[in-house]
Amino acid sequence: MTVQDLATLIVSAILTAGLYATMSYGLALIYGVMRIINLAHAGVMMLAAYMTFWLVAVLHLNPFLAPCVVVPTFFLLGLAMHRFLIRPLGSAPMIASLLLLFGVWLIMQNIAYLIFSSDTRSIFTQYTLWTIHAAGIPISFNRLMVFAAGVIALISLHLFLTKTYPGRAIRALAVDPEAAILVGINTSRMSMLAFGLGIALASLAGCLMSLIFSFDPDFGRSHLLKSFCIVVLGGLESFVGVALGSLVLALVEAFSVMWLRAALQDFVSFALLVLVLLVMPNGLMSLFRRRA
Amino acid sequence: MRTDRSLTWLVAIVVLAFVAALPMLYPGSYWQTLGLITFLFVSLSVSWNILGGYGGQISFGHGTFLGLGAFTTAAIALRTGIPPWLTIPVAGLIAMLYGLLWGYPTLRLRGPYFSIATIGVGEATRVLMINLDDLLRGIPVLKEVVRFRPLTGGASGLTLPMPADIRSYALAYYYGAFAFMLVALAVSWWIRRSRFGLALLAINMDPDAAETLGISTSRYKVMALMVSAFLVGIVGSLYAQYFLFIDPREMFSFQNSIAMVLMPIIGGVGTLWGPVLGAVVFKVVEDRLSTARLMVGSLSINLVQFNLLLYGLLLVLIILFEPGGVLGLIRRIGRSKLSLRISARFRGWV
Repeated sequence: MTVQDLATLIVSAILTAGLYATMSYGLALIYGVMRIINLAHAGVMMLAAYMTFWLVAVLHLNPFLAPCVVVPTFFLLGLAMHRFLIRPLGSAPMIASLLLLFGVWLIMQNIAYLIFSSDTRSIFTQYTLWTIHAAGIPISFNRLMVFAAGVIALISLHLFLTKTYPGRAIRALAVDPEAAILVGINTSRMSMLAFGLGIALASLAGCLMSLIFSFDPDFGRSHLLKSFCIVVLGGLESFVGVALGSLVLALVEAFSVMWLRAALQDFVSFALLVLVLLVMPNGLMSLFRRRA
Repeated sequence: MRTDRSLTWLVAIVVLAFVAALPMLYPGSYWQTLGLITFLFVSLSVSWNILGGYGGQISFGHGTFLGLGAFTTAAIALRTGIPPWLTIPVAGLIAMLYGLLWGYPTLRLRGPYFSIATIGVGEATRVLMINLDDLLRGIPVLKEVVRFRPLTGGASGLTLPMPADIRSYALAYYYGAFAFMLVALAVSWWIRRSRFGLALLAINMDPDAAETLGISTSRYKVMALMVSAFLVGIVGSLYAQYFLFIDPREMFSFQNSIAMVLMPIIGGVGTLWGPVLGAVVFKVVEDRLSTARLMVGSLSINLVQFNLLLYGLLLVLIILFEPGGVLGLIRRIGRSKLSLRISARFRGWV
């Protein structure tokens, strides 16, 4: 293996990590604020992929403008889901919301089967085959744009959460819900906003992934598991943690190709998920904290 | 309450007698196969309920036991040529050991985290099993295992030899599956009344309080997983023996694990009869929908996928409005004024 091969592998892992961070942060946000494990995450990614397909293949929209339509739509869907499904649950145990959102996932998936059939789709655009060569390393233009879109979204979300009032209120809710009520935060509205944002992020991830991967109504399950893996690795509700977790998973996956057959690549992330849950349930950050 | 319970038993006995007589009443493979599948799924539902219902640990990984049971039977029967039914206990044991293997570590996780881990276990197992033959071929010592015959058949699956007299073979398995369903029910009934069942119930309600009372929560949870894995493994074995063809992608599929979660929860989780009700409804609705076609103008829509859509919808409604499932709904109706009025009207008849 030459230095150049290694560099190619690392660059590709970093590009993948950007996408992984986008898809995981929505999960982490919803969990952090509401202690809800959103299994419908996978369904949202899949539906967003189909919506992008429809926008690009039928309406001939520029693929990189598709998120501008997809994300607001799913933000509204997220608000509606919170209003009609999550809020009525009240303070039911966590497993109830998990099963409820699992039901929502099943509904989304099977509506997609009914409407779109089980055929595998992929989006082919004029950018799909473009490659840029930087210092001898080939980089797919598509992946680079997807990476950029993901990173821009995450940075603007981070600014929203740290600099604006609703963002800070959401973070306060994640830290201590009761104290948040005491200082006059409308917790119900803020958790609704957080849920909407989480769903919007999932749809952004689905939209971006549809430009790179092929998909069918079952799309999103393995990505959901990868997101769990990242969220647990990164420690919940931490922005840096999610980025770090994404990078670790992307690197492990990229390098596992060297000594594992490609068919087993998914096995690595699933096994890593179980392992991480068992060995360090508080995530990578706990390693640093323990030392400090 | 006493009459209520004896009524349940009366209904159960009538239904069971009808089911036992079904092959005589309606000869033909359609009813027989539907019946057998229903028995197998009732057994799955009841077995899952031991850990998921009594113990409250929602497992999305029970498909692994189904697959392992089926492939254990196939591996032994194809290699040694002994009658497949002799492999049933081995299939159960292998599934049970696999349950111990992943249950021991993962059951230390609380509630939702356990559920997430089981999704990971299920998916990892499927990927591993599909590639098992190729993997073993690459390892020097283990290469001999798959030299002449594959273990899982990879993407093409495995076929078991066809029995000589297919009719009596099928009839024998109809009653075999029926008998096994009764065994699974008996185990479930016994566990519910035993100290073991009480401990599981305590863990379900409040794990910390249970621990304080001296219940070794992780040991009981692992035991419940092992019992349910044993039963599910046997169902897998029976499935392989009856259908004679198994494919790792199908046997280890997420759909099977989902079915095992949905049936008991929709029927009435944590009860003896709820999972039975859920499984029967699940299989019969699926069977009806798989042959039905919806005609909208010139468009013909296949309703197979409608099945899980319906169940997703039911799951959402049940979590929101009636956590007791269909059985809870029936009981609620049973307690309502309407039923009192109806029973008052019929009182003179009895």
